[in-house]
Amino acid sequence: MSKIPKQPEKKKKSKQNHRTDEDFAYRSVLISAILGGIFYIISIFFNIEIISVFMNINIYWTIIDISLKVIIILLFFLFMTTSIGNYKELIGKPLSWKELLLLFVLSIGQTILNPLVFVFTLFGLVIILIYLYVVQEM
Amino acid sequence: MKKINFRVLICILIVNTSIISFFLVSKGYSTVNEIDSEIGESPVIDGYIDLSSNEWNKATREDILLGDLPIILRVLQNDENLYISVQFDLLVEYHSLSEFVGLIISNSSSDVKEEFIDAKIIQFSNISKNEFSFFDYYIDNGNFLNDTKLDGDGEAKLEKVTSTYEFSIPIKASTADEQDAALDFGNTYAFNITYGETSIYQTGVKKSTIILINVKSSTTSKPPFTDLTVLIICIVIFSILGVLYCSYIYKIFRLKGNIKRIKR
Repeated sequence: MSKIPKQPEKKKKSKQNHRTDEDFAYRSVLISAILGGIFYIISIFFNIEIISVFMNINIYWTIIDISLKVIIILLFFLFMTTSIGNYKELIGKPLSWKELLLLFVLSIGQTILNPLVFVFTLFGLVIILIYLYVVQEM
Repeated sequence: MKKINFRVLICILIVNTSIISFFLVSKGYSTVNEIDSEIGESPVIDGYIDLSSNEWNKATREDILLGDLPIILRVLQNDENLYISVQFDLLVEYHSLSEFVGLIISNSSSDVKEEFIDAKIIQFSNISKNEFSFFDYYIDNGNFLNDTKLDGDGEAKLEKVTSTYEFSIPIKASTADEQDAALDFGNTYAFNITYGETSIYQTGVKKSTIILINVKSSTTSKPPFTDLTVLIICIVIFSILGVLYCSYIYKIFRLKGNIKRIKR
């Protein structure tokens, strides 16, 4: 029978695991924020209509234009929500509905120049929120 | 999940789907055609829509049916001219060598036959070689008679399956005579868009549709207040987002420092 107690070793292991989790969470916060930033910059170009090469050509290009704008905003929202959620977890607080609402309003605000983009983005954001809600519930 | 939450989610989905389907209906080929002209930079009338230079970008665009032929109609104006482009896709074997697209213009918003007194026609003589002529006619008792003075301009081009016809029509031309429809700012005019395969007018017309075009009142006025406001709001939103994003990134780097300190 071993004379060395096993308990401290277990504790050390769990501390190491905890640190790895923290590192992983921090990396996730940073990478998600950077990706959110990239989509924010792309969104400026498309949604303020600095890049308008796809507009007014034909119905197919219009669909591509609208889809691009919507997808960019949705990805921005998704990455920023992930990043802020993980950030809050790291500092030991839950992601509040106020932050989520601010992100929602700022995401929908990007669509102000195009009513179709507004409608589809609203739809997409609601779907994402429902998804997040359902995942949380489960 | 609670039953009440599930019901709320279903309601939100139904409302969203209804809003989206409401918007989708307006994207189909329209039957009632009243078009507001948009003010923008004058396009080059060469039968080619140059996308790289955002030509016709500000134009009002309508997808309409010319008989059974789906066409894209663009309408634009500036201080001097009303610009109209007609674009459609048709397989090469369905083109006639001497096809034409014409704008028969009413002197008012009325679509009574007698009111249509002016015609601008782009007539191909050999479409395979892109050879065409622009004609300006006045209509007297259904007869198409050459104007003594050519008003406006028109060019066309067939590229692969896409035909593009571009017209420029003077608005409130000081030289306008009784042989031309006197387009004026702030008024609505009926346009009969026609497509035909032989250079015999009116009998050569195969497909036609009447649309109303509202010529905007003043092109020199400042951009509408609402447009400017929307743009400012948009810039403000993106600026707020930018500032919040920068402060968030700063917080993340500070958090890294805090984590390191706690670990030590």
